[in-house]
Amino acid sequence: MACLSDETLIAYNEGSLGPIESARARDHLLLCADCRRAAAAFRLLDSVLAQPVLHNPPDRVVPQVMQRLFPALPRLTSIAAMVAASAVFLITWIYIYFDFSSSSLIQALRLTTDGTSGWLAGIIKGITLVYNGAQAASKALAALLRMLLPTPLGTVVAAVAVLALAGWLASAWMRPRLKRAKANRS
Amino acid sequence: MQLDEDQALIRKTLRGERRAFEELMRKYEKRIYGFVVRMVRNEETAVDLTQDFFIKIFTVLEKYNFEYKFSTWAYRICYNLVIDHIRKHQAQVSSLDDESVSPRDLLTSGNVVREDGFKALSRAETRDYVWRVVDQIPLKFRELILLRYIQDLKYEEIADITALPVGTVKNRIFKAKEILKQEMEKDGLLV
Repeated sequence: MACLSDETLIAYNEGSLGPIESARARDHLLLCADCRRAAAAFRLLDSVLAQPVLHNPPDRVVPQVMQRLFPALPRLTSIAAMVAASAVFLITWIYIYFDFSSSSLIQALRLTTDGTSGWLAGIIKGITLVYNGAQAASKALAALLRMLLPTPLGTVVAAVAVLALAGWLASAWMRPRLKRAKANRS
Repeated sequence: MQLDEDQALIRKTLRGERRAFEELMRKYEKRIYGFVVRMVRNEETAVDLTQDFFIKIFTVLEKYNFEYKFSTWAYRICYNLVIDHIRKHQAQVSSLDDESVSPRDLLTSGNVVREDGFKALSRAETRDYVWRVVDQIPLKFRELILLRYIQDLKYEEIADITALPVGTVKNRIFKAKEILKQEMEKDGLLV
């Protein structure tokens, strides 16, 4: 009887031969020393492969992934930036809403512009224009709010609600972009 | 639905528990790194790819289907990541022809021949020897040996991950074992 192929020996060792083929292989192995030796070699090979030599990953692998996924510093920085921006927005809004500007800043800008020429005058005129526009809009909004909400408390509540809505809209707009940026960075 | 340990960690991660994801990484890092480093044969690249793998897993975790085993899903992502890297960066993958990395220096003279034909290297030496030969066989055989023995996967799971027919997977693993045996014979480890 011809010797068993390597494939048959491997399959025999794995127990994946059918019952008839397996019986034939077993009978042959009883008679053939060469095949017995080859089968033993494959068995040992299997047992050695089943105990792989695994290289240990460096300790930095997981901490660096955590750092990349949850960067600590940028998170604090962005919170600080958000708080600062909100504060600036709130102060500016209160300043405009309660018309503190009419006798000081705007007047000062108007006076500075008089008699000034060149690019500086252009910049100051631009700022004044924007400021006047913002003031006009805030006055209109203030009038509307006073009409709808006659009490000071109601006005404050409305202002906070507007701010919260603006913050929510901004975060809804930013969240998918930040997520995409994070994925791109990775 | 009954969740296994991995799936419970994934649920926690999806709820925002960072430590759960860290635990998941700790559980898999050795096997993933062990697989990757033997595929790319460069420690620095293996570290980068292992980290990229975990970040990729984190970003696509929402898409994980709880009906399937996490490990098979993760190994498929890992396999694709490594294969893409190899295709891009390692067009020439050295194989057994590369004499500079031969494991022959593991063999010592005067070894006693045992009945099974292996020279009497210690168990650990034989293991080191065989795995160093594995590192040098051609990629199409090596990847399957690594998936089978490092990731401890069944033929069907390997076929699913590599998108190869089960028959091809079996044949290549058989062929890989023949190559390993032949190399041992060439090196005088088998008589």
